[in-house]
Formats: sequence, C-alpha cells, structure tokens
Amino acid sequence: MTGIGIVVAILVTLVAVLIPWLPTSASEEMDRIEFVYWFATIICIGIFSLVISVVIYSVLTFRAGPDDEADGPSIHGNTGLEIVWTVVPAVLVIAIGIVSAVVLSQNGRAGTSPLTVKVFAQQFAWRFEYPDQANLKSGELVLPTGRSVKFEMTSADVIHSFWIPEMGQKQDLVPGIETTIVVTPKPGHEGTFTLVCTELCGLGHATMRAPVRVLTQEGFDAWVKEQRSGGGGGATGAAVFTSAGCSGCHAFEPAGSNAAIGPLLDNLAASAQKAGQPLDVYVKESIVEPGKVIASGYADGVMPASFGESLSAKEIDALVQYLTGTGQ
Amino acid sequence: MSVVEHGTSHDSGHGAGPWAPRPRGILMRAGYVRAAWCAGLFFLIGMYIVVAIRWLAGWDPVYDWNIITVTGALTMAPIGFLLGLGAFDYWLYWISGRPTRPEDHSGHGAYSWKDYFKVNTDHKVIGVQYLTTTFVFFVLGGLMAMLFRAELAQPGMQFMDTQTYNGLVSMHAALMIFVFIIPAFAGLANFAVPLMLGAPDMAFPRLNALSFWLLPIAGTMFLASFLAPGGAFATGWTSYAPLASEQPIGQVFFNMGVQWAGASSILTALNFLVTIITMRAPGMTFWRMPLLVWANFTTSLLVVIATPFIAGSQFFVMFDRVMHTSFFVPEGGGYVLGYQHIFWFYSHPAVYIMILPGFGIISEIISVFSRKPIFGYRLMAMSLLGILVLGFSVWAHHMFVAGMADWLRVPMMISTLLIAVPTGVKVFSWLATMWEGKIHLNTPMLFALGFISMFVIGGLSGIYLGSVPITVHASDTYFIVAHIHYVLFGGSVLTIFAGIYYWFPKMTGRMYSERLGKWHFWLTFVSFNLTFFPMHWVGLVGMPRRVADYADRFADLNLFVTISSFALGASVVVFFYNVVVSWARGPIAESNPWRAMTLEWQVSSPPPVFNFEEIPQVVGGPYEYGVPGARHAVLKGGAAQEAHV
Repeated sequence: MTGIGIVVAILVTLVAVLIPWLPTSASEEMDRIEFVYWFATIICIGIFSLVISVVIYSVLTFRAGPDDEADGPSIHGNTGLEIVWTVVPAVLVIAIGIVSAVVLSQNGRAGTSPLTVKVFAQQFAWRFEYPDQANLKSGELVLPTGRSVKFEMTSADVIHSFWIPEMGQKQDLVPGIETTIVVTPKPGHEGTFTLVCTELCGLGHATMRAPVRVLTQEGFDAWVKEQRSGGGGGATGAAVFTSAGCSGCHAFEPAGSNAAIGPLLDNLAASAQKAGQPLDVYVKESIVEPGKVIASGYADGVMPASFGESLSAKEIDALVQYLTGTGQ
Repeated sequence: MSVVEHGTSHDSGHGAGPWAPRPRGILMRAGYVRAAWCAGLFFLIGMYIVVAIRWLAGWDPVYDWNIITVTGALTMAPIGFLLGLGAFDYWLYWISGRPTRPEDHSGHGAYSWKDYFKVNTDHKVIGVQYLTTTFVFFVLGGLMAMLFRAELAQPGMQFMDTQTYNGLVSMHAALMIFVFIIPAFAGLANFAVPLMLGAPDMAFPRLNALSFWLLPIAGTMFLASFLAPGGAFATGWTSYAPLASEQPIGQVFFNMGVQWAGASSILTALNFLVTIITMRAPGMTFWRMPLLVWANFTTSLLVVIATPFIAGSQFFVMFDRVMHTSFFVPEGGGYVLGYQHIFWFYSHPAVYIMILPGFGIISEIISVFSRKPIFGYRLMAMSLLGILVLGFSVWAHHMFVAGMADWLRVPMMISTLLIAVPTGVKVFSWLATMWEGKIHLNTPMLFALGFISMFVIGGLSGIYLGSVPITVHASDTYFIVAHIHYVLFGGSVLTIFAGIYYWFPKMTGRMYSERLGKWHFWLTFVSFNLTFFPMHWVGLVGMPRRVADYADRFADLNLFVTISSFALGASVVVFFYNVVVSWARGPIAESNPWRAMTLEWQVSSPPPVFNFEEIPQVVGGPYEYGVPGARHAVLKGGAAQEAHV
C-alpha cells in the first residue's frame, strides 16, 4: 500500500511540476495567484494520491476469485475514522480559503499612485482612454511597469470580459455598471501581450482581442508624449484597423486578417461602384453608418454603429486611406 | 403470479364491463394521429388569439411572428400534442363528470413493444421510455460536439460560420444537461426506486406518464431552433442577458424548452417525494432505505426548490424580448447581473441534481460488488443532506469575476470549499467499503471505480475554482470546460453507464455481454482522459472557452483533443451494440444475478407488472453482506400487509 502510494505521489508530482501549467507571470497579481495555485496543488496531490492508490491497492489485493462467492467482513463503520475524514478535509479547505482571502484582498489594492485607464468594450472591439494623460484615446493598451494600473470598465452592449493571461486578473464588463480591476505589470517583463474577451458576446467573440504593449515608465511617458503630439504610429490606418477591432470581423489582405464575420474588404472599389458612390465617400459612410448599405449575404445590426464617436476624425481618415489603398 | 396472469387479470379495461370505453375511430382515439391534429389545432388557436388581439388593438404588424412563435408553436402546440396523445384523458373525464375508472390499468405495463410508444402509467415502462429517449438526445448532443471539435482541429474557420459554431456549442450543452443527464437519472430512479421501496408503483402514475412526455417536447423544441431564421440559440447554455434578448428568434426555443424540461423535472420530483415519504413498505424506515433512494429523495428536494428559479430567469429574458420589459435592460432600470443571480441559484444546485443520483447508484454498486456493507451508512445519508443545504449557499461562485458585490466573494468561497467535506466523506466511505471486501470487477463495478477516479479529479479542480484568486485567472477558459466534463462526464455519465449495466438484467430480463462492457469501459476511460485532461493546460495558459477560433500556439493540442474526442464518440458505439444485441438475444437473466439484497432483486427479471405479489415486510438494512442470517426483507406471506394504494 505504502509503495503504491509513493509511486502514485511521485508520478502526480512530476505531472504537476514538469508541465508548465501557468503562463510566465508578468504581473504582481499573477505572482500571488501562482502562490495560491501551488498551495492548493500540494494539498490536491496528497488527496489524489491517497484516493487513487487505495483504489489500485484494493483492486489488486481484495479481488475475489472467479468462483469465490463469499462475502467480505461485515464492517459497518468506524466513528473515529469518519470523524477524521470529516475534520481533516475541513481544516485543509479552510486553510485554502484563508490563503485565498488574503491574496484576494492584496490583489484588489491599487497602491499609492495608480495609473487609471478607462476601458470601453463593444461587440467586438476594445477602446482605452487615459484620463490622467489628457484623455488620451487609444485602440492599443499601453502600460508602464512597476506601477499599479486601475482599470475602470464599461460595456456598450452585452457582457464582455477583460483578461490578459500573463497578468492573471480577469473582470467582466457589464452594461449599466462600472467594474474595476487592478493589474501591476512587473519590471523586467516588458513586451507584447494580447487582451482577450472571455465572455461569449456574439458572432465575433473569438476574435475580440486587442494588442497590449508593456513598456518601462520612461517608454510609457515617451509613448504618451508622442500620441499627444499627434504623430507616431497610433494614427496610421493599419494600426487603427487592428486596434479598433476591424480585423476581428473583416478579411483584408494588407492587414493579413482572415475573419469572415463581416464582408471581405479587398474589393471595396467594386462595392462602391455598385452603390454609385465615390470610393472614399462610400468607405467612410460604411464605417460611420454601417446600416446604410448592407452587403448581400450579411445582416444589418451586426457591425456597431458607434465608430463615428469612438474614433477621432483623424483616425477615420487614416482608416479610409488605408482601406482605399491611398494611405502611406 | 406471473407477468402474463397479471396482464390478463387487469386487462378488463380493454374489453367489456361497465366502464369500457366507447370504440372510437383513429382520429378520435388517443394516439399519434390525434396528437398531430390537436397540436396543429392548438397552434392555430394560439396564433389567432395573438392575431385577434393585435388586430383589435390596431397594432402593426397583425401577424407578429415572434409572438406567434412563443404563443402558438412553443406553448399551445405542445399542450395540444399532450392532449391528443391522451396524457390528460383521465383527468378530463373526471373534470367533466364522466365515469372514470380508479382501477383502470389499461395503460399500465408493456405487453408489446408498441406499449413503449404510448402514454403508459407503469413506472418500469416509464423508466425505460426515459432512458431510450434521453440516449437519443445523448447521441445527437455527442455528434454536435464532434462537429464543433472538427472545426476546432485547426485555427481559423474551416467548415462553418461563427453563428453556427456558437449554436452547436449551446445546443450540445442544452441537450446534454436538460434532456440527457437530468432525465436519464430520473429514468433510472423511476425504474428502481418504487421497487426498492417495496411499492407497486409511484404515488401518482398518471402524473408520472405526463412528466415523461414533457421531455421529448423539450428536446424537440431545442432541436427545432436549428430551423428558425437566424439559426439555433447561440448564447451558451447559460444564455446570459442581455446578449440572449438581442439574438435571433432561435433563442426563445431555448427559453421555452427549459420551461418544458423544468416542468418535467418538478413533477417527477414531487412524485418521488410523495412516493418515498408515503409508499415505503412496512418496516422500511428512513434508516433502512437504500442510498439510491436517499439520493433521489435529496435530489427531488433540490429540484422542487431550485428549478422554479431557472424557469423565472428564462421567462424574464424572453419577456425582455417579446414584451419589451426591462428586467435586465439597464436603460430601462434593469439589472444585468440579476439574471446571473437567479440563473445560478438554480444552476448551481443543478450540478448536484446531476450528481447526487449518481452517488446513489455508485453506493449500490460498490457495496454489492465488494460484498460488504456500506461503510458509515448514516453519515453517507447525512452527507447527501449536507450537500443539499450547502448547495444553496454557493451559487455566486459562478460570478466571482462578474462584477457582483465584492463582499459576497469570500463567504461564497468558504461555503463552496466546504462542500468538499461531505463529498470527501462519500469518496472515503466508498473506499472503506471496498477495503478488505471481495471485489468483483464486473462492468458496473469498473464504471464505478472509473467514476471515483475521474470524479476526484473533477472535485479537486473544483477546489482550485473555489479559490477566488485562482478562479479570477481560470474562469471562462478551457480549464472550466475540463472541470465541467470531469464532473459531468467522468462523474454523471459514467454513473449513468454503471447504472444501466447494473439494472440491465432487471429491466430487460437479459444479460449484457461482459466482454463488450469491459471494452466499452476501457475505450471510454482512456479516450475521455485524452480528450479532456489537456484542456486544463490549454485553459490555464490562455485559451478562452466558447471560441470558434483561437491563437495559433494552441493548434497542436487542439488537433490532439479533436482526434481523441472522435475516439470517445466511437467508444459509445460499443455500448449501443452491446445494449441492442443483448436486449434482443442476450442470455436470459436470473432474478438476482449480482446476489444483491435490495428489493428490486428479490422479484423476477423483468419484474411483474405490479412488482410484488404482496407488499414485502422489511426487517433489516439493505447492505447486510457478510452478516450471518441477515435479511433486508421478507417476501410473500409472513408479516405481509395491505398495499398502500
């Protein structure tokens, strides 16, 4: 019995340790989540090994022969044993509960000078706003390291959910209420990540993603400055195409996107001709008022009608130039 | 008295006698023809009520197909169908003052295969009706899973658009939960519980028949949504507002299908409660009831208390769409999270509705195939009640990232984690029951041991999900998909298989093939793990659930999972082959092939139409294996008493 137990425990431990079950942590919150994860894992390895080795041992040792019609001993119970396996698991799970509650409270703290970022979700795109940086708007989430970021989040239509896997934290965005979440990117883990929507939100749910760029504080300040001076990469049509969520639904060869929720955008000239409009007027109208002309085979009301408000005039112009092939 | 004698002695309802029914033509006789035209007629009545009101009020359009669908097709037509089939005949005779026959057994028991397709009041026939119907939905739900797994074999979209994908995912879950697992347990219990209690039938046999016939209506309604303009409901089985009130009309097929399935559950649960409380044989005290009966007693309490909440939640979502109420519309003062609170107040207890009957099945099997009494019988029964009580205090653990009141999270976490205690008691008691026993590894026992192993994995991943910080990372990912399948497939479905193999000789009077049963077990066990275990990893490292497309880095593993899922699908073919062939020409079963003590094994296989010649006298516990001279009950003569009918 002990031998089987040890073998099972070693095998299970190897599975737990050798496979990288969690992504490389990029936030302080994820570090603490990892701690709870390992705390629970140690307890679970013990319980799992116990149960499985008793099953294996019993089957090997107590198996009746083919013609053995005898009954086992009439043991009806053992009060001491029953108390043990009621009390010990209770103590273990309460220990997990206490550790979890402490970590939960720590993961909700935003520190002394958090950066506030407003998050707006709609089917099927993310938008970000930096109120302390003169309401800078962006379709790409750019964060500094070494400082807590407090996200204040709302949804324009249905429930979405905010998750950057390497940062651990997750929070739904709910129409009608504002939800918040704290993430503290770790220094030394600058890089690019992906924000994904994890709550089923309709046709384009699977591709409702946004790019996340984590920079040092200096890098972040430089990015803010660049954005505010109006230059930089953020306003190019190609960047807007991705950040505003267009690529989540539309296939467009120059952008390398192949989603098929909305119409293909590689033959816009032909569509404009059919609608009897100049190409750039047609494209702009289709972005701002998507319900005006509906491509055959597609339904009205799927594409959000709010891009006229959520994108700046400059971004829309850049997008039109990009789509008509007249941009940089 | 044999089966045949019983049949003829109660057959008087068919022929002469003071209450003989008037002979009727095919159109007016209870049956499928009358069901068809009654359904059509009731649809038209529902439709023209809507049309008349809209015309009188001057609303445009007069023919509003959204509302006609809800009223005519999804409410009135099913009532017409049931009426035509004859489910209400007895009550309508009684209401209208026409002669009724309290001892009418004309629709009771099966004398030909055709009797299984009629409104039948015999609990054993109804049990088989439940099982065959639910397994049709199981196959359909499984095929849908294989379809969307095929789409997930590669990133990008290959075979279908995303609306179809979301529809298949939602349909898979709706079929498996509402018209497979929950009613399959109701079917097994329908067959076994009255026999185990020493009762001739359920307390309300006609209500029992009605409960069954509500079920195909629910399943057909779900499936019919594929034909609706815009496609099937596509918001997951959770159907969260406000997405659910903005989707195409297929969504209301879900909202209404849940009503019919829910009504079926509630009526059956009431029937079980009354049967268990009032129809126990003399001497069958609560502490002498088999644990399967305890499990269904507890489950029925859960159903009766919780199911009205999901009915409410689905009505509210539907009202938001068709009546423009604003239960969950923030612009109208509604509260979006209110939906989730009401939904999960049912749907968390529903998890126990889907596992407690399985616990009961496993307790029977472990004890019989280890030839030992259940270890700690009273604590086993009490732990069921513990799960019942705690089960109502944990619903918001599905909402840890939903944005609900912060303070609720820690109390809900503690109560969630504490559920591990009564569940652990059950697992440890099963292990102790096996300890030093005489273990026979027949197919039911293999499934029981497979269940314990898999359910422990599902239970332990549940510990992770009980902890709020871990859930904040893992919720809405494939980790959840893995967890729910370890609990509902590794848990519930394996117990359903175990139960079917265990009672197969009693239900059909024939033995299944042990060799094929063991093949079925090992193929299922291995391919199940290959399919679902990798999902833990893919979820934790970043793949959300319910996605038609995913990042390229998850491609290899998804291909592997898809191939494994096809193997899992194929393993079920072995089961069906075994069941069908054995049912037709398997060796004749003895009345007690497992040498079990509970009452259903003390009568012939299959049992007589009214179960017992005389109501048995219960004289001891149901699991007294190894106790010299111990008996659970005395049948025939002796201290026999009047029937409780």
